Amino acid sequence: MLEVLLGSKNRERILLYLVFRKEGYAREIARYFHTDVNQIQKQLERLETGGILFSRTVGKTRLYAMNPRYPFLKELEILFEKSLEFYPEQERESLLMVRKRPRRKDKPL
Amino acid sequence: MKKIENMTLGEFAAFVQSHLRENEIECILSGGACVSIYTENRYQSFDLDFIENFSTNTDQLEKVMKKLNFIKENRYFKHQNSTYFVEFPPGPLSIGDEAIFNYNIMIFETGELKLLTPTDCVRDRLCAYYYWNDLQTLDQAVMVSKKLQVDLEIIKQWSALINQENKYLTFKEKVDLY
Repeated sequence: MLEVLLGSKNRERILLYLVFRKEGYAREIARYFHTDVNQIQKQLERLETGGILFSRTVGKTRLYAMNPRYPFLKELEILFEKSLEFYPEQERESLLMVRKRPRRKDKPL
Repeated sequence: MKKIENMTLGEFAAFVQSHLRENEIECILSGGACVSIYTENRYQSFDLDFIENFSTNTDQLEKVMKKLNFIKENRYFKHQNSTYFVEFPPGPLSIGDEAIFNYNIMIFETGELKLLTPTDCVRDRLCAYYYWNDLQTLDQAVMVSKKLQVDLEIIKQWSALINQENKYLTFKEKVDLY
C-alpha cells in the first residue's frame, strides 16, 4: 500500500509491524509476513541507520522498535494508522490482537 | 595550524567542521561531544556527531573527508592521527519532533564550531533519559546545567509537552543538589 512511497515492500511491512506491535525482531517479523529473514534484517538495519528505528539486545536477540526521537514519528504513525484502515479485517485483527499479558512457563492453555 | 594529534575535541570538531563548510557542507555538532566541550571534558566523548539539515550525497561527503585523510569505516570516519571519530547521523537537526534552528558558535584556533546551544544540549541528553531511562545521559545533562547557564524554564515546558514532568523533576533535583 505504501510500498511506492517507502521504496520497499519489506520496509512497509516492518514499519507496519512495529507501529502496531511496538517491538519485534527480524525472524519474528519475517515469519509474520512469510518472507525472507535476510531481506527483513537488511531493511531493519537501514531503518535504524536512518534514525527511524532503534534497537537493543535481549539475550541473543536484537529487538527493534520505532525511535521515539525520530522527528516525524507522530506523522509516520498517523500514516500507518490510516493505511491499516484499508487492510482486510482479518489482517487488522491478526496484527493488533496479540497476547501481551504474561504467560507462566509450562502453563497449559 | 596545530597538529591533529594534539587537538582537543573542540579544536578537532572545529577543524573538521570548517573544512566541511569550505566545501559547502553545513552541519551542526550534536550529541555527547557537545557535553565534552561544555564541561571541559568532565565527560569525555570520542564520537563527533555532525548533523546536516539537508543530506549531502554520500560520495561527496566521503570525497571531502578523504581530502583531510579520513578513512570511512562502516558509519564512521577515522583519522590515523586522532582517537576521535566522526559520524553523520541522519538529519534534520531536532529535539524529538521539534526542529532546531538556533545554535551556538565557538571559536577555536582551528576554526569556527557550530554546535547545539547549552539548553538544547541538555534537552538532547534528557531525551535518552526520558525515552530509555539512560542514567549516563541524565548525569551529562546535569553536568552541563551546572557548568553553564541553561534555560530551565524552556526545559521544563518542553518536558511537560512530551509528558515527562516526573523525570524532569528528578533532573531538576539533581541540578539543585549537585
